[in-house]
Amino acid sequence: MDRVMRGINRFLREFKAIVKHPYFGYVFFGMMFLILLLLRNQGMVTISVINTAVIVMIYTVISLGFSLLLGFGGLASLGTAGFVGFGSFLMGYLHGVKDYSLGVTLLLSLCVALAIGLIVGFISLRIEGMYLAIITLGLGEILRQFFISYDIFTGGFSGRSFREFTIFGINFVSGDGRYFNMVYIIVVIMFVLAMIATINIIKSPTGRALLAMKNSDSAAQSMGISLIKYRLLAFILSTVFALLGGMLYIMHTKYSYAPQWNLSFSLEILAAVIVGGAQSIFGIAIGVFLIFGLKISVLNYIPFFQENPALIVIFNGALIILVVMFYPGGLIRLLQTLKYIVVKRFGQLKQKWRRYRYGEDD
Amino acid sequence: MPGIDIAIRQILIVNAILFLLFFIIDIAFFRKKIKRPVYRGRLINVLITIGILTMFVASIKVFTWPLLLQIFLLNTVDLSILILATTGVVLIFKTSVTTNFAQGMMATFGAFFATTVVIRLMAKYSGSQTLYLFIGLFSGVLVSFLLGLIIDVGIIRRGRHVSSVGKQMITMGLVMVLMGAIPVIFGSNPIALPAFSIDVEIFNIGEHILVIPIQNLYAIVITLVVLVVLFTALRFTKWGLGVRATASSEMVASMMGVNTRVITAMSWAIAGGLGAIAAFFYASSGAQVQVASMVGVQVNAFMAAVLGSFSSFGGPIVGALLINLFSSIAPFYDGTWQVVIVYGIILLIVLAKPLGLFGKKTAKKV
Repeated sequence: MDRVMRGINRFLREFKAIVKHPYFGYVFFGMMFLILLLLRNQGMVTISVINTAVIVMIYTVISLGFSLLLGFGGLASLGTAGFVGFGSFLMGYLHGVKDYSLGVTLLLSLCVALAIGLIVGFISLRIEGMYLAIITLGLGEILRQFFISYDIFTGGFSGRSFREFTIFGINFVSGDGRYFNMVYIIVVIMFVLAMIATINIIKSPTGRALLAMKNSDSAAQSMGISLIKYRLLAFILSTVFALLGGMLYIMHTKYSYAPQWNLSFSLEILAAVIVGGAQSIFGIAIGVFLIFGLKISVLNYIPFFQENPALIVIFNGALIILVVMFYPGGLIRLLQTLKYIVVKRFGQLKQKWRRYRYGEDD
Repeated sequence: MPGIDIAIRQILIVNAILFLLFFIIDIAFFRKKIKRPVYRGRLINVLITIGILTMFVASIKVFTWPLLLQIFLLNTVDLSILILATTGVVLIFKTSVTTNFAQGMMATFGAFFATTVVIRLMAKYSGSQTLYLFIGLFSGVLVSFLLGLIIDVGIIRRGRHVSSVGKQMITMGLVMVLMGAIPVIFGSNPIALPAFSIDVEIFNIGEHILVIPIQNLYAIVITLVVLVVLFTALRFTKWGLGVRATASSEMVASMMGVNTRVITAMSWAIAGGLGAIAAFFYASSGAQVQVASMVGVQVNAFMAAVLGSFSSFGGPIVGALLINLFSSIAPFYDGTWQVVIVYGIILLIVLAKPLGLFGKKTAKKV
């Protein structure tokens, strides 16, 4: 009996250690999303829920890369839409039209991300703050114009559609359930990997260096942090995440249209990061859900908003304003406050119970 | 005209080489020195001046000056719109230290109101159209003025502790709110606004004939009047002094007895009014009033403000002039790549002068 109890205790201790590990939450979320897919295939969940899940996961990947720039590097960039669009067109052109294998496509995209990241990084060495935001905005416009005009690559105004892909020698054609399931699984895997990569970057010396750079350039430099190295790194990482997000996007929607990668998309990604909490991974996921997912999953089904579709936009805008005004650290702060209150109440109750059980101490 | 193609390509190449030369000299020579030499800044200035001047000279040589003047005159409406929008953006940046993404939406709101007023008046009475347009313009400016005031008093003032990126997000939320509100208030169809006049004025200079639409004259005159009044106010009134003080440091200004709340609120209101004039002219020169009609202008306004530097009021206007000039000449070179050429040139200039053409370096406490 004693041995059994000891075994259970040990198991509980190890379970606690696993739960406390940062990866657990991410893998758990990934599992939950996979279970959602299973439920969908049993017909227990509507398609809009699944679509919301995919959109939230894809945009979270993009936003995580962006948070490395803004939340940790302190560099505001508004060219995200151009990078995401680039990723989607690379996938659509290289894999969809040219029939390169997925690995080659990924490798080439990595090279492109490296090049773009280097260019923007070097720009960021000279230009700072708001000026950098506006110049990257200009870069985004240049990329958009490039997409619209260079129609061999992007399909111009007719857009680039994406019908099938091959992974590990198995061909998936759009239209049947297998394609959708495969894309969903890939997205979930990428989502979990992106989260794990982000937490590793944040907790590593690189993340600390970025944080030091955000707080003060001069102080970081005097501590021996190379500004060139880490700024370039931040931009390259962010671009890689953005391109990856674009590739997932075209796999999911099967279509990418040049004029859609405009300023408002970059602003929405920025809003998701700010509203959720720029330095928290789950906060970003919440922010993405609020900006992109809330409308398609919840608000479209409320009768009041169905009658007045214009109010959805107003509601979203007002929500952003309110959150930024009252929770400048993001919605994750709200959750932390709630958690604090709950823990405090629980402690009080516990003390009351002890007083009742063991009597007042002297 | 094949001559244009080659000549402009040559200019672009000359410019690119000059900048490349500067970057090489800068990285190889100046950066090695512990104390940056004084003549480095002068070298940049000389290079940029040479670049822009060669562009001018070559453009005049290729187009001949009457044609260039003609192109410039036909683009004056765009120029007025850009200058007004830029001034609004800079005014808000100075007092609230944020880029106002809602500038275009505030302007469009005013333009919608103005258009509705004009159409109602014209349907009801049969008087002079110009008078109604002026009434409409005035009412639109008033509405945008009030809108700016409400936004500052209601939202921006309460969010003063928010970081500047956070403020950007607030203005982005405002964009969404206004985007939803405009169709509810004014109906979802784009409305056409009649022009002040569709006639053109033709006058001769020597043997050359120049054509200028009357509409452009209206735009130039109104913009000039507004700008002169604004700059006089900035230079000589107590409000202008307050704006300049708030721009240099809000906290110190408020300690010195400047009522920064009033200053900021007035800046937002005036920026709204300026935007409304710009949107009004944008709508009445052929385009319709649409929800998203001012977005392109707004992006250009940001670029102009960066090009001319946010730290002065005159600089952005020069920036707007240059952008207008570039974008009116660029289509003759290549219509599809216009945006790429214009923004590429701006990017090069800003890389050489990170604080803009007329930016002053301010000492920063570490």
